[in-house]
Amino acid sequence: MRPEELSDLQLDAIRELGSVGVGHAATALSQILGHFVGISVPEARIVAVSDVPSMYGGAETLVAAVYTRILGDIEGGILFMMPRDAVLGLVDLLRSRPPGSTKTLGNEEEAIAVHAATLLISAYVAAMGRMADVNVLPSSPAFAYDMMGAVLEVVTSEIGMKADTAILVTARFMEEDAAVDAALFYLPDPDSLDVVLGKMGVA
Amino acid sequence: MTDGTATGTPYAEDVEVIRVSTGEYAIAQYPQVLMTLALGSCVGVALWDPGLRRGGLAHVMLPTPSDGGRTGSLMRFASEVIPEMAGALVQHTSGRRLVAKIAGGAAMFRGDSRLAGVGDRNLEEVRKQLLLLRIPILAEDTGGSHARTVELHLDTGVMVVRSYKFGIKEL
Repeated sequence: MRPEELSDLQLDAIRELGSVGVGHAATALSQILGHFVGISVPEARIVAVSDVPSMYGGAETLVAAVYTRILGDIEGGILFMMPRDAVLGLVDLLRSRPPGSTKTLGNEEEAIAVHAATLLISAYVAAMGRMADVNVLPSSPAFAYDMMGAVLEVVTSEIGMKADTAILVTARFMEEDAAVDAALFYLPDPDSLDVVLGKMGVA
Repeated sequence: MTDGTATGTPYAEDVEVIRVSTGEYAIAQYPQVLMTLALGSCVGVALWDPGLRRGGLAHVMLPTPSDGGRTGSLMRFASEVIPEMAGALVQHTSGRRLVAKIAGGAAMFRGDSRLAGVGDRNLEEVRKQLLLLRIPILAEDTGGSHARTVELHLDTGVMVVRSYKFGIKEL
Protein backbone atom coordinates (compact mmCIF):
# COMPACT_ATOMS: atom_id res chain seq x y z
CA MET A 1 0.00 0.00 0.00
CA ARG A 2 1.17 3.51 -0.79
CA PRO A 3 0.67 6.34 1.72
CA GLU A 4 -1.89 8.13 -0.47
CA GLU A 5 -4.18 5.08 -0.27
CA LEU A 6 -4.49 5.24 3.52
CA SER A 7 -7.97 5.56 5.01
CA ASP A 8 -8.75 7.96 7.87
CA LEU A 9 -8.79 5.05 10.29
CA GLN A 10 -5.35 3.90 9.15
CA LEU A 11 -3.98 7.41 9.32
CA ASP A 12 -5.32 7.63 12.86
CA ALA A 13 -3.39 4.48 13.73
CA ILE A 14 -0.20 6.08 12.35
CA ARG A 15 -0.88 9.22 14.40
CA GLU A 16 -1.39 7.03 17.47
CA LEU A 17 2.03 5.50 16.84
CA GLY A 18 3.36 9.02 16.85
CA SER A 19 1.63 9.93 20.11
CA VAL A 20 2.99 6.91 21.93
CA GLY A 21 6.45 7.49 20.48
CA VAL A 22 6.71 11.16 21.37
CA GLY A 23 5.40 10.49 24.87
CA HIS A 24 8.46 8.36 25.54
CA ALA A 25 10.74 10.83 23.80
CA ALA A 26 9.41 13.64 26.02
CA THR A 27 10.12 11.61 29.16
CA ALA A 28 13.66 10.90 27.93
CA LEU A 29 14.31 14.53 27.06
CA SER A 30 13.01 15.74 30.42
CA GLN A 31 15.33 13.29 32.17
CA ILE A 32 18.37 14.48 30.23
CA LEU A 33 17.61 18.17 30.56
CA GLY A 34 16.44 18.13 34.16
CA HIS A 35 13.35 20.16 33.38
CA PHE A 36 9.94 19.38 31.92
CA VAL A 37 9.59 19.14 28.16
CA GLY A 38 6.33 17.94 26.64
CA ILE A 39 5.77 16.74 23.09
CA SER A 40 2.39 16.28 21.48
CA VAL A 41 1.27 15.15 18.03
CA PRO A 42 -1.37 17.60 16.83
CA GLU A 43 -1.71 15.96 13.43
CA ALA A 44 -0.66 13.27 10.98
CA ARG A 45 -1.47 13.61 7.30
CA ILE A 46 -0.40 12.50 3.85
CA VAL A 47 1.72 14.88 1.78
CA ALA A 48 3.30 14.65 -1.66
CA VAL A 49 7.02 15.21 -1.18
CA SER A 50 6.97 17.66 -4.11
CA ASP A 51 4.41 19.82 -2.23
CA VAL A 52 6.53 20.08 0.93
CA PRO A 53 8.73 23.06 -0.13
CA SER A 54 5.70 25.27 -0.78
CA MET A 55 4.49 24.56 2.77
CA TYR A 56 7.67 26.12 4.20
CA GLY A 57 8.41 29.06 1.92
CA GLY A 58 10.14 27.41 -1.03
CA ALA A 59 12.89 24.99 -2.00
CA GLU A 60 15.67 27.37 -0.89
CA THR A 61 14.41 27.69 2.71
CA LEU A 62 17.26 26.98 5.14
CA VAL A 63 16.39 23.92 7.23
CA ALA A 64 18.01 21.63 9.76
CA ALA A 65 17.34 17.98 9.00
CA VAL A 66 18.10 14.61 10.56
CA TYR A 67 17.56 11.48 8.50
CA THR A 68 17.42 7.94 9.80
CA ARG A 69 16.73 4.75 7.93
CA ILE A 70 14.45 2.12 9.43
CA LEU A 71 16.15 -1.27 9.43
CA GLY A 72 14.84 -4.73 10.30
CA ASP A 73 11.56 -6.45 9.45
CA ILE A 74 10.25 -3.34 7.74
CA GLU A 75 12.01 -0.68 5.68
CA GLY A 76 11.69 3.02 5.14
CA GLY A 77 13.08 6.28 6.40
CA ILE A 78 12.23 9.04 8.83
CA LEU A 79 13.20 12.64 8.19
CA PHE A 80 13.09 15.20 10.99
CA MET A 81 13.02 18.71 9.57
CA MET A 82 12.73 22.24 10.94
CA PRO A 83 13.24 25.62 9.28
CA ARG A 84 16.14 27.67 10.72
CA ASP A 85 14.03 29.91 13.00
CA ALA A 86 12.13 26.94 14.40
CA VAL A 87 15.27 24.98 15.21
CA LEU A 88 16.77 28.01 16.99
CA GLY A 89 13.51 28.16 18.97
CA LEU A 90 13.83 24.47 19.80
CA VAL A 91 17.36 25.00 21.12
CA ASP A 92 16.06 27.86 23.32
CA LEU A 93 13.26 25.65 24.59
CA LEU A 94 15.57 22.75 25.38
CA ARG A 95 18.02 25.05 27.17
CA SER A 96 15.18 26.75 29.09
CA ARG A 97 16.07 30.16 27.70
CA PRO A 98 13.69 32.86 26.51
CA PRO A 99 12.68 32.51 22.83
CA GLY A 100 15.11 34.45 20.62
CA SER A 101 18.20 33.81 22.80
CA THR A 102 19.87 31.46 20.33
CA LYS A 103 20.99 33.35 17.22
CA THR A 104 23.11 30.88 15.29
CA LEU A 105 23.33 27.15 14.83
CA GLY A 106 26.89 26.32 15.89
CA ASN A 107 28.32 22.94 16.83
CA GLU A 108 26.84 22.97 20.31
CA GLU A 109 23.37 23.99 19.11
CA GLU A 110 23.54 21.44 16.33
CA ALA A 111 24.37 18.70 18.84
CA ILE A 112 21.38 19.64 21.01
CA ALA A 113 18.98 19.68 18.05
CA VAL A 114 20.31 16.39 16.66
CA HIS A 115 20.04 14.78 20.07
CA ALA A 116 16.38 15.79 20.40
CA ALA A 117 15.63 14.70 16.84
CA THR A 118 17.33 11.35 17.35
CA LEU A 119 15.40 10.67 20.55
CA LEU A 120 12.15 11.51 18.80
CA ILE A 121 12.91 9.29 15.81
CA SER A 122 14.13 6.40 17.98
CA ALA A 123 11.03 6.61 20.15
CA TYR A 124 8.80 6.62 17.06
CA VAL A 125 10.56 3.57 15.63
CA ALA A 126 10.39 1.80 18.99
CA ALA A 127 6.65 2.48 19.24
CA MET A 128 6.18 1.13 15.74
CA GLY A 129 8.07 -2.01 16.63
CA ARG A 130 6.04 -2.61 19.76
CA MET A 131 2.59 -1.78 18.42
CA ALA A 132 3.07 -3.63 15.15
CA ASP A 133 5.13 -6.41 16.74
CA VAL A 134 8.03 -6.16 14.31
CA ASN A 135 11.78 -5.98 14.83
CA VAL A 136 12.96 -2.53 13.85
CA LEU A 137 15.99 -0.42 14.62
CA PRO A 138 16.89 3.10 13.50
CA SER A 139 20.20 3.58 11.66
CA SER A 140 22.58 6.18 13.05
CA PRO A 141 21.30 9.68 12.28
CA ALA A 142 22.65 11.78 9.42
CA PHE A 143 22.54 15.57 9.71
CA ALA A 144 22.18 18.34 7.13
CA TYR A 145 21.68 22.12 7.41
CA ASP A 146 20.94 23.62 4.00
CA MET A 147 18.25 24.24 1.36
CA MET A 148 15.09 22.23 1.97
CA GLY A 149 14.74 21.12 -1.65
CA ALA A 150 18.22 19.57 -1.58
CA VAL A 151 17.52 17.78 1.70
CA LEU A 152 14.27 16.31 0.41
CA GLU A 153 15.70 15.16 -2.90
CA VAL A 154 18.47 13.17 -1.28
CA VAL A 155 15.90 11.35 0.80
CA THR A 156 13.49 10.64 -2.05
CA SER A 157 16.38 9.52 -4.30
CA GLU A 158 17.49 7.08 -1.65
CA ILE A 159 14.04 5.61 -1.25
CA GLY A 160 14.15 5.34 -5.04
CA MET A 161 10.95 7.29 -5.62
CA LYS A 162 8.96 4.43 -4.16
CA ALA A 163 7.99 7.00 -1.56
CA ASP A 164 7.01 10.11 -3.48
CA THR A 165 4.38 10.58 -0.80
CA ALA A 166 5.15 10.74 2.90
CA ILE A 167 3.23 10.67 6.15
CA LEU A 168 3.79 14.00 7.87
CA VAL A 169 3.62 13.72 11.65
CA THR A 170 3.82 17.10 13.37
CA ALA A 171 5.62 16.96 16.72
CA ARG A 172 5.04 19.94 19.02
CA PHE A 173 7.72 20.54 21.67
CA MET A 174 6.31 22.40 24.67
CA GLU A 175 7.69 24.00 27.78
CA GLU A 176 5.89 26.25 30.26
CA ASP A 177 5.82 29.31 28.04
CA ALA A 178 7.01 28.20 24.63
CA ALA A 179 6.04 25.75 21.89
CA VAL A 180 7.73 24.89 18.62
CA ASP A 181 6.72 22.48 15.84
CA ALA A 182 8.97 19.98 14.10
CA ALA A 183 8.04 18.00 11.01
CA LEU A 184 8.60 14.27 11.08
CA PHE A 185 8.25 12.70 7.64
CA TYR A 186 7.72 8.97 7.70
CA LEU A 187 8.66 7.59 4.27
CA PRO A 188 7.50 3.98 4.30
CA ASP A 189 8.38 1.32 1.84
CA PRO A 190 4.89 0.36 0.44
CA ASP A 191 5.20 -3.32 1.43
CA SER A 192 6.29 -2.36 4.92
CA LEU A 193 3.27 -0.11 5.36
CA ASP A 194 1.01 -3.14 4.70
CA VAL A 195 2.85 -5.12 7.36
CA VAL A 196 2.58 -2.38 9.98
CA LEU A 197 -1.13 -1.75 9.34
CA GLY A 198 -1.91 -5.47 9.22
CA LYS A 199 -0.24 -6.11 12.56
CA MET A 200 -2.08 -3.16 14.08
CA GLY A 201 -5.37 -4.65 12.86
CA VAL A 202 -6.29 -1.85 10.45
CA ALA A 203 -5.13 -3.34 7.13
CA MET B 1 14.65 44.42 -22.91
CA THR B 2 18.17 44.72 -21.51
CA ASP B 3 21.21 43.25 -23.18
CA GLY B 4 21.96 41.19 -20.10
CA THR B 5 25.34 42.79 -19.46
CA ALA B 6 24.54 44.23 -16.05
CA THR B 7 26.79 42.64 -13.48
CA GLY B 8 25.20 43.67 -10.18
CA THR B 9 21.73 42.52 -11.13
CA PRO B 10 22.02 39.55 -13.47
CA TYR B 11 18.87 40.36 -15.39
CA ALA B 12 16.06 42.92 -15.46
CA GLU B 13 12.69 42.17 -13.95
CA ASP B 14 11.00 41.77 -17.31
CA VAL B 15 13.27 38.85 -18.25
CA GLU B 16 11.37 35.61 -18.30
CA VAL B 17 12.86 33.05 -15.90
CA ILE B 18 11.96 29.46 -16.69
CA ARG B 19 11.97 27.22 -13.62
CA VAL B 20 13.00 23.63 -14.14
CA SER B 21 11.41 21.31 -11.57
CA THR B 22 13.19 18.40 -9.91
CA GLY B 23 13.49 15.50 -12.33
CA GLU B 24 12.61 17.53 -15.44
CA TYR B 25 14.27 19.59 -18.17
CA ALA B 26 13.46 22.68 -20.23
CA ILE B 27 14.73 24.35 -23.40
CA ALA B 28 14.86 28.13 -23.72
CA GLN B 29 15.99 30.92 -26.02
CA TYR B 30 17.74 34.19 -25.06
CA PRO B 31 16.58 36.50 -23.41
CA GLN B 32 14.90 33.81 -21.33
CA VAL B 33 16.88 32.54 -18.34
CA LEU B 34 16.77 28.92 -17.17
CA MET B 35 16.84 28.20 -13.45
CA THR B 36 16.59 25.23 -11.12
CA LEU B 37 16.44 25.40 -7.33
CA ALA B 38 18.14 23.54 -4.52
CA LEU B 39 20.29 20.86 -6.14
CA GLY B 40 21.58 18.49 -3.46
CA SER B 41 22.72 15.10 -4.67
CA CYS B 42 20.96 16.00 -7.94
CA VAL B 43 22.96 17.43 -10.82
CA GLY B 44 22.06 20.48 -12.90
CA VAL B 45 23.13 19.80 -16.49
CA ALA B 46 23.22 22.85 -18.78
CA LEU B 47 23.65 22.49 -22.55
CA TRP B 48 24.28 25.66 -24.54
CA ASP B 49 24.32 26.48 -28.24
CA PRO B 50 26.46 29.65 -28.54
CA GLY B 51 25.43 30.31 -32.14
CA LEU B 52 21.69 30.32 -31.52
CA ARG B 53 21.89 31.55 -27.91
CA ARG B 54 19.65 28.65 -27.05
CA GLY B 55 20.09 26.09 -24.33
CA GLY B 56 18.62 23.48 -22.04
CA LEU B 57 18.79 22.77 -18.33
CA ALA B 58 18.04 19.42 -16.67
CA HIS B 59 17.61 18.64 -12.96
CA VAL B 60 18.94 15.07 -12.85
CA MET B 61 17.88 13.01 -9.80
CA LEU B 62 19.30 9.55 -10.40
CA PRO B 63 21.77 7.87 -12.79
CA THR B 64 19.65 5.30 -14.65
CA PRO B 65 16.16 3.71 -14.45
CA SER B 66 17.69 0.66 -12.74
CA ASP B 67 18.44 2.93 -9.76
CA GLY B 68 14.83 2.90 -8.73
CA GLY B 69 11.42 3.90 -9.87
CA ARG B 70 8.69 1.90 -11.49
CA THR B 71 6.49 4.94 -11.90
CA GLY B 72 7.05 8.60 -12.70
CA SER B 73 8.92 10.51 -15.36
CA LEU B 74 11.97 9.03 -17.08
CA MET B 75 13.35 12.56 -17.30
CA ARG B 76 14.73 12.30 -13.78
CA PHE B 77 17.43 9.88 -14.95
CA ALA B 78 20.73 11.11 -16.42
CA SER B 79 20.79 8.29 -18.98
CA GLU B 80 17.40 9.36 -20.35
CA VAL B 81 17.20 13.12 -20.04
CA ILE B 82 20.64 14.05 -21.42
CA PRO B 83 20.22 12.36 -24.86
CA GLU B 84 16.63 13.64 -25.03
CA MET B 85 17.59 17.23 -24.22
CA ALA B 86 20.56 17.19 -26.61
CA GLY B 87 18.28 15.78 -29.31
CA ALA B 88 15.74 18.56 -28.78
CA LEU B 89 18.49 21.19 -29.06
CA VAL B 90 20.17 19.88 -32.21
CA GLN B 91 16.94 19.69 -34.22
CA HIS B 92 17.75 23.18 -35.49
CA THR B 93 21.50 23.02 -35.71
CA SER B 94 24.60 20.89 -35.66
CA GLY B 95 25.22 18.92 -32.49
CA ARG B 96 28.91 19.76 -32.54
CA ARG B 97 28.23 23.26 -31.33
CA LEU B 98 26.76 22.22 -27.99
CA VAL B 99 28.80 22.75 -24.82
CA ALA B 100 27.96 21.69 -21.27
CA LYS B 101 28.34 23.03 -17.76
CA ILE B 102 27.34 21.02 -14.70
CA ALA B 103 26.75 21.70 -11.00
CA GLY B 104 25.57 19.70 -8.00
CA GLY B 105 26.16 16.11 -6.98
CA ALA B 106 26.78 16.96 -3.33
CA ALA B 107 26.68 14.67 -0.30
CA MET B 108 24.09 16.53 1.78
CA PHE B 109 23.94 14.31 4.85
CA ARG B 110 26.95 13.79 7.06
CA GLY B 111 27.19 10.43 8.76
CA ASP B 112 25.55 8.14 6.21
CA SER B 113 27.78 6.61 3.57
CA ARG B 114 24.95 5.17 1.48
CA LEU B 115 23.22 8.54 1.20
CA ALA B 116 26.52 10.19 0.38
CA GLY B 117 27.01 7.98 -2.68
CA VAL B 118 24.03 9.21 -4.72
CA GLY B 119 25.68 12.48 -5.78
CA ASP B 120 28.86 10.75 -6.97
CA ARG B 121 26.93 8.17 -8.97
CA ASN B 122 24.85 10.93 -10.58
CA LEU B 123 28.01 12.80 -11.62
CA GLU B 124 29.57 9.66 -13.04
CA GLU B 125 26.54 8.93 -15.24
CA VAL B 126 26.21 12.60 -16.34
CA ARG B 127 29.87 12.64 -17.46
CA LYS B 128 29.43 9.32 -19.26
CA GLN B 129 26.35 10.53 -21.16
CA LEU B 130 28.03 13.80 -22.19
CA LEU B 131 31.10 11.88 -23.35
CA LEU B 132 28.93 9.54 -25.46
CA LEU B 133 27.36 12.58 -27.11
CA ARG B 134 30.78 14.23 -27.50
CA ILE B 135 29.63 17.35 -25.69
CA PRO B 136 32.56 18.95 -23.83
CA ILE B 137 32.14 20.02 -20.19
CA LEU B 138 33.50 23.58 -20.11
CA ALA B 139 33.10 24.14 -16.38
CA GLU B 140 31.70 22.50 -13.29
CA ASP B 141 31.00 23.14 -9.62
CA THR B 142 30.36 19.70 -8.20
CA GLY B 143 30.68 17.58 -5.07
CA GLY B 144 31.09 19.01 -1.59
CA SER B 145 28.31 18.92 0.97
CA HIS B 146 26.20 21.97 0.11
CA ALA B 147 23.05 22.71 -1.86
CA ARG B 148 23.15 24.81 -5.04
CA THR B 149 20.69 26.84 -7.09
CA VAL B 150 21.75 27.39 -10.70
CA GLU B 151 20.81 29.71 -13.56
CA LEU B 152 21.84 29.46 -17.21
CA HIS B 153 22.18 32.75 -19.11
CA LEU B 154 21.72 32.08 -22.78
CA ASP B 155 23.55 35.09 -24.27
CA THR B 156 26.87 34.36 -22.54
CA GLY B 157 26.46 30.72 -21.57
CA VAL B 158 27.35 31.73 -18.01
CA MET B 159 26.07 29.38 -15.33
CA VAL B 160 25.41 31.20 -12.06
CA VAL B 161 25.67 28.98 -8.97
CA ARG B 162 24.28 30.17 -5.64
CA SER B 163 24.71 28.50 -2.25
CA TYR B 164 24.43 29.40 1.43
CA LYS B 165 28.01 28.27 1.93
CA PHE B 166 29.84 30.11 -0.87
CA GLY B 167 27.44 32.80 -2.06
CA ILE B 168 27.38 33.51 -5.81
CA LYS B 169 29.79 31.89 -8.28
CA GLU B 170 29.91 32.22 -12.06
CA LEU B 171 30.96 29.33 -14.27
